[in-house]
Amino acid sequence: MSALEGLREAHHKLEPAAVIDALDRVLATWRAPTSVWRTKLQHEHGIYSSQVLELGTAEALRDWTGEALRRMRARELREPCRVPPVTAVWLAGSIPSAAFHAILLPLVAGSAVYVKPSSQDPLSARLFAESLRAQDPTLGAAVVVGNDPTLLESADAVVAHGADETIAAIRARVPPQRVFVGHGHKLSLAAVGPAVEIDTAAQAVAIDIALYDGRGCLSPAYVGVVDRPAGRAAAFGRALADELEQLASKLPRGPLLTSEEAALHEMRARAAVREGVRLELPEHGSEWTVILEPAGSRPAPGWLRCLPLVPLFDACELEDWCRRLAPHLSSLGHMGWGRQELLSAVQLGGGSRACTLGRMHFPPIDWNHDGISPIRSLLRLIDAESP
Amino acid sequence: MSRRDLDRKVLAWLGEGVDAPRDDTRFETLALELFAYQYAHNPAYQRLCRAFRVRPEDVARWQDIPAVPTGAFKEARLAAFPEAQEVRIFRTSGSTTAARGQLHLDTLELYQASLLATFAAYICPDRKRIRFVVLAPSAANAPDSSLSYMFEVACRELGSARSAFYVEPQGWEPERLIADLRELDEPIALVGTAFAFVHLLDALEARGLRLGLPDGTRVMETGGFKGRSREVTRGELHGAITAALGVSASRIVNQYGLCELGSQFYEPTLRTGVPTRSKRVPPWVRTRVVDPVSMKDVATGERGLLVHYDLVNTGSVLAVQTSDLGRVTQAGLEILGRLEAAETRGCSIAADALLAGP
Repeated sequence: MSALEGLREAHHKLEPAAVIDALDRVLATWRAPTSVWRTKLQHEHGIYSSQVLELGTAEALRDWTGEALRRMRARELREPCRVPPVTAVWLAGSIPSAAFHAILLPLVAGSAVYVKPSSQDPLSARLFAESLRAQDPTLGAAVVVGNDPTLLESADAVVAHGADETIAAIRARVPPQRVFVGHGHKLSLAAVGPAVEIDTAAQAVAIDIALYDGRGCLSPAYVGVVDRPAGRAAAFGRALADELEQLASKLPRGPLLTSEEAALHEMRARAAVREGVRLELPEHGSEWTVILEPAGSRPAPGWLRCLPLVPLFDACELEDWCRRLAPHLSSLGHMGWGRQELLSAVQLGGGSRACTLGRMHFPPIDWNHDGISPIRSLLRLIDAESP
Repeated sequence: MSRRDLDRKVLAWLGEGVDAPRDDTRFETLALELFAYQYAHNPAYQRLCRAFRVRPEDVARWQDIPAVPTGAFKEARLAAFPEAQEVRIFRTSGSTTAARGQLHLDTLELYQASLLATFAAYICPDRKRIRFVVLAPSAANAPDSSLSYMFEVACRELGSARSAFYVEPQGWEPERLIADLRELDEPIALVGTAFAFVHLLDALEARGLRLGLPDGTRVMETGGFKGRSREVTRGELHGAITAALGVSASRIVNQYGLCELGSQFYEPTLRTGVPTRSKRVPPWVRTRVVDPVSMKDVATGERGLLVHYDLVNTGSVLAVQTSDLGRVTQAGLEILGRLEAAETRGCSIAADALLAGP
């Protein structure tokens, strides 16, 4: 039996309430203080430190409960619709909770899932699928992990993650009548408004920077700080440096590839030679870097805990920044701004989420990733008109 | 020490030629003096040194002089003199939209002395003058190309009256070049970029031609291929040159240079008669091979990232960190490619993609 046939058969056996109950139990095993799954993930992942994986996974899954899944399902499937029997999920990136989320959503809808893991992180999808099988064989049979590109043509729906070129190439393979959802690579911005203590904001931003080492689309690629009174951004930079230094031992950065280490070295040097730039660096090594930019500069996005800090004059300048990032903005992490200012900035950047600093990596399970509804996007709605 | 004194000392060394002794004490003394000068007079370089907490008074060995990655030459004017004194800017090749690395010069005296010393020694060791056939634009047509400047100076100082450039602003002229090559009655120095040689070889093949260039002809090729022609290995290129032009491997030289450096590195093939992949490091240059992660020297003969210390760079920075991989052996410096650009191991958009715009 082919993977597709097996998944179609498994789909027929899926009963929504039982799926959610089983997922609830699976997620509980991941959340458990002594979770063997989290332990395996930390030992085998390879890109992030075990401390980063521990905090990142535990916090992300904290509110992923059966109740939350039921609520999401009820909200998303409130109208007559057709659920795709099999959804192909093409993963990218290296963040475990993002892989779990992408697998879990079609299951909640009632679709069986064929998962092509990310080449950078083949582990997360495999472990999650294993944990499903271990908890509930029926649910486990509805998830197959593989690398067969023909599923892009034969699955009833395709959800693809990756760089824009990858998404375009995958989209081209999906027959026009099938459901296709694409999530291109994005970046996020941390914005510190005028109405927050800099120490509080620095503590929160440092967590967002340290988690996943700046590799995720929810990782801040820039930090914007309102520089009024003058010197506030520089003071924030020093506070952020102190926080990052502390996190260097609590949430150490994962091992870097040689090419990444070289790129980081160059990124710091390129910043250092520019007029008006000030660098905050650790005494030794390259664990973190804060690049305090002069007003009006337009630096390249940060990465690997090497972050440009941009002084902002006001909300208008924040909007300019977001406009410049359009359409690549994902999330805007914030503290000390008004709600209207934030929504306007997110909208201008083509983003879809505003969240509090320190929580940038932890969207709720039912978030509208890239502004796309989590489950409805997979469905074909049916209009049943009255006679 | 004044810049004038530094230039004079470096010029004196250049004047001794490529066979001058590799005097490490002399190099270290000059390098440290030059570092102190550049720290004081090159604001962008001083910013880098201060950011990494290095001051001249703390540096006792030339190896500890902070090196500037080539990428930083795209970000700031790394010059130890005021803009008003600028006589030339060499720029790295690249698209018109992307930032390009720049080498700012307030004098061409050292640059010229260095290039002539090495060019004469490694390309014209057997003759005072030779006819140059240049597969690159002239300096008039490419004023910001260090390579074109080098060929221009070589033609002027070492070339015969019939030397010519065969790449025009609108492109190159295969018909004129091939016609001239077929009618040669004297040995030439056929010099140019590696990708230009690929185009020449393709043009010859398309016409079903094989030439036998006169005895004594030598070939010098330099640079990479990316985006300019099909890519071939150096061995394949040299083999194809031998087959299509009748120039033996012992008369083909690869040159390695960077826009950001005043000195170049050549294979000594024409001096020794033996083909080699190792290049000679001029006496006034030192090359460190470092581990890209620790930035510490690797063991002799091991592969690593190349960092050059070139005394000719008096007006900019003497220590330049490249993205080139190589190794140093008894035979010299071997180039082993480039460090791969880091790919994002995550789902964050890459800087290049963002900066490229929609």
